[in-house]
Amino acid sequence: MAKLGSRLALAVVAVCLKAAVPTGPNIGERVPDFRLMDQGGSDKTLRQILGPKGALLVFFRSADW
Amino acid sequence: MENRRVQIAAQGLGLAAISYDSPAVLKAFADREHVGFPLLSDTDSKVIRSYGILNEGVEKGTFTYGIPHPGTYLLDAGGVVVAKYLFRRFGLAGEKREAVDAKYLKFSLAGGEGTLRPNQRVSLAVDIRLPRRMHVYAPGVTGYLPISLKLADSPAWTSDPVTFPAAKLMRLEAIHETVPVYEGRLQLLDTITLSGPQQIERLLDGERMLTVAGELRYQACDDRRCYVPETVPVKWKLKVLPFDRIRAPENLRRK
Repeated sequence: MAKLGSRLALAVVAVCLKAAVPTGPNIGERVPDFRLMDQGGSDKTLRQILGPKGALLVFFRSADW
Repeated sequence: MENRRVQIAAQGLGLAAISYDSPAVLKAFADREHVGFPLLSDTDSKVIRSYGILNEGVEKGTFTYGIPHPGTYLLDAGGVVVAKYLFRRFGLAGEKREAVDAKYLKFSLAGGEGTLRPNQRVSLAVDIRLPRRMHVYAPGVTGYLPISLKLADSPAWTSDPVTFPAAKLMRLEAIHETVPVYEGRLQLLDTITLSGPQQIERLLDGERMLTVAGELRYQACDDRRCYVPETVPVKWKLKVLPFDRIRAPENLRRK
């Protein structure tokens, strides 16, 4: 009985957390600027990434795992 | 992504990927996979945080803390978000689907790629491209049919309200009215939450694919006249695996 109770509590928390997954800047918003180092050791800013028609900006978990 | 790099560049789009890896880790990956576009190092997740997508569900103090909720943003030349894609699997973004020619507009469907599990959330997108001088109406308009995306009711998912971009106000001189419209490109995003395994299993086909069907409705007008409203069926196929029940090796398990 105690195990079931805690399982239900966990399920409720999981549903609440899942309902609030952030998705970042919205359509129509300008994204924040940045200056980050790339794999070759040179700094890149958002402006340098943007092409004449825009850009695809991909956020991923890790290149390692 | 690397396979599509040349096609993406040909469309005039830049391409970059961001993670919390160090430049050295990114270089090792780039060399191994022959990646020809910038992989950007955000080691203290400062940029990930500034975009509001730090994954707070991960335990602090572990090496996994600092990862983002993965996703891809399509930006215009000014850095404004045109479309966004949120994938459940933590890899680099999937491929863009074929464009469908519908009456008065083209669209492509995206989202739901990779493998999913029960109870997960997934964003399904309709990316629409209107020819010049053609517009459709935004929700809230009166007198015209606003564009809408409605998924079928199913025990296998529940849908969030569809998100729409901000509309442009257009002055229609002939009738002395100003109405909210969309022109050019727009994305409609429908985020659904998959139900539990019991509800989903019954609805999967032989290859564990779940069909999510819906309808796109709109009324297109150009600068001279309005056309009959159109209803276009849309459908995504999602691969849903059962919960991952693989245990750690026996000697590592807590007793």
